[in-house]
Amino acid sequence: MHTLKEWLKTITLYEILVGMKATLGHLINYKPVTLQYPHEKRTLPDNYRGMLALLRYDDGTEKCVGCDLCEAACPSRVIRVVSAEVPGEPTKRYSKEYYMDMTRCLFCGMCVDACPVDALGMTREFEWAVYDKRQLHLNKQQLLAIGDRSFPVREKRLELQHQNTAFFNVAFKHIPQKPI
Amino acid sequence: MAELGLRLTLTFIQIAVIVLIVIVTVLLLTLAERKVLGWMQDRMGPMEVGPYGSLQPFADAIKLFFKEDIVPAGANKLLFTVAPLLALIPAFIGFAVIPWGPDLTFEFDGLTMKPFIISDINIGILYILAFASIGAYGIILGGWASNSKYSLLGGLRSAAQIISYELNIGLAIIGVLIMAGSLSLVKITGAQSGWFWNWYVFAFPAPQIFALVVYVISAVAETNRVPFDLPEAESELVAGFFTEYSGLRFAFFYLAEYANMVLVSCVASAMFLGGWNAPYPGTILDLLGLSSLAWIENTMWFAFKTYSFLFLFFWLRATLPRLRYDQLMRFGWKVMLPIALANIVVTSIAVYLFPKG
Repeated sequence: MHTLKEWLKTITLYEILVGMKATLGHLINYKPVTLQYPHEKRTLPDNYRGMLALLRYDDGTEKCVGCDLCEAACPSRVIRVVSAEVPGEPTKRYSKEYYMDMTRCLFCGMCVDACPVDALGMTREFEWAVYDKRQLHLNKQQLLAIGDRSFPVREKRLELQHQNTAFFNVAFKHIPQKPI
Repeated sequence: MAELGLRLTLTFIQIAVIVLIVIVTVLLLTLAERKVLGWMQDRMGPMEVGPYGSLQPFADAIKLFFKEDIVPAGANKLLFTVAPLLALIPAFIGFAVIPWGPDLTFEFDGLTMKPFIISDINIGILYILAFASIGAYGIILGGWASNSKYSLLGGLRSAAQIISYELNIGLAIIGVLIMAGSLSLVKITGAQSGWFWNWYVFAFPAPQIFALVVYVISAVAETNRVPFDLPEAESELVAGFFTEYSGLRFAFFYLAEYANMVLVSCVASAMFLGGWNAPYPGTILDLLGLSSLAWIENTMWFAFKTYSFLFLFFWLRATLPRLRYDQLMRFGWKVMLPIALANIVVTSIAVYLFPKG
């Protein structure tokens, strides 16, 4: 009896018909799961890690103090910092040159975590396809420009900032600090 | 002389119209296939060119037309050029004997012609089979002339596959031929008029349902479609026999594949599903008193049957994975062939026991 049933299933192409029923069902209840990408974009998650950027304080001065910690934290050696003394102020340093080779970046966000003054930020930009990959070797001006256009209100990611670093963060002293 | 010229002109007009219809159908098919496949796979298919991607075939045609035509180094230039034509021409030539509509005659300047039948030769179906086999040469030669291992393997696979499955197509058809007593597609279609149980799938002494199944499966295999698309298996052979082809020559292969699909669908609907006959006797337009327009209904029925087969091809492609090569051969020779042969025996006995009229 069992074999007869199997045999009947074989000659009536039962399995194939079941599969064809499934595909026809999808054709009739047509609900596409795809998005028409350049026209429709999916909403990004809140903690999306996109293009890196250098940030400024409210008054327009750069946050970066040239400490090289981001360079040390970076697993793919994306960042190169040339640190220098602020002319006329021997106690302060800044990054004279700051390069990021975004062809190597894997968007892990470790540089952002490492930064003591919250000078680095991850924007929500991801459409960085270019024809010449040398265009992905970004200098300080470009990184600051990305930061300016992505964070016009310069109060991002304060929650990540350690209280000990708030000393440097003159612009945000009016914001209540988190308890340690 | 003038009469001959007129007759030639009329025939050429007929041929031009049929070729135009086939090419338009092929254009439609390329879009319809991608759309239907997309819908079945929860995608949208082409959406960019024109509203809902409706102009995609034209964009494809223009793109292929302006692509660089590359002949690979070491290729046999002559055969490399001839192969696409050898694939394309047999695919189109078979349409000459398909009855597209009722067997009407039409008077024009003292000449009688049949507007829906280009030529009613008495070996119609044999002619189609013969030219379909020549199409295999295009594929094999294209694969060999490309001087590429993928092309060669694709061509050889295609040769083996087409030989195996052509046999099954030929044998599956024989049941219908025994019942109709003719090789002419016009006579075969004409013999299926009346109610739909006169169609040879359901016809009285020996319903050809198994023959239809064998024919459809073998036709899918012969046109190199999924699940029998081993000659152009992407995951194994890049693109099979047309790996090295580009531009217009590639377009010719593409066109040939789709024209072959249309041809086997036309043959299937003409031989098994009554061709242009409606599933009821006569036509509705005839009953409404529009006898002169009845041919519209008949051609629409033919188109509907043909497009149903083409939809079945897309449907199978969306559903089934590709067969392994030994499975393909075993299925062809050990399953399809015995069924087709048994069908011939049963049909012959049935027709002998219940002779017509």
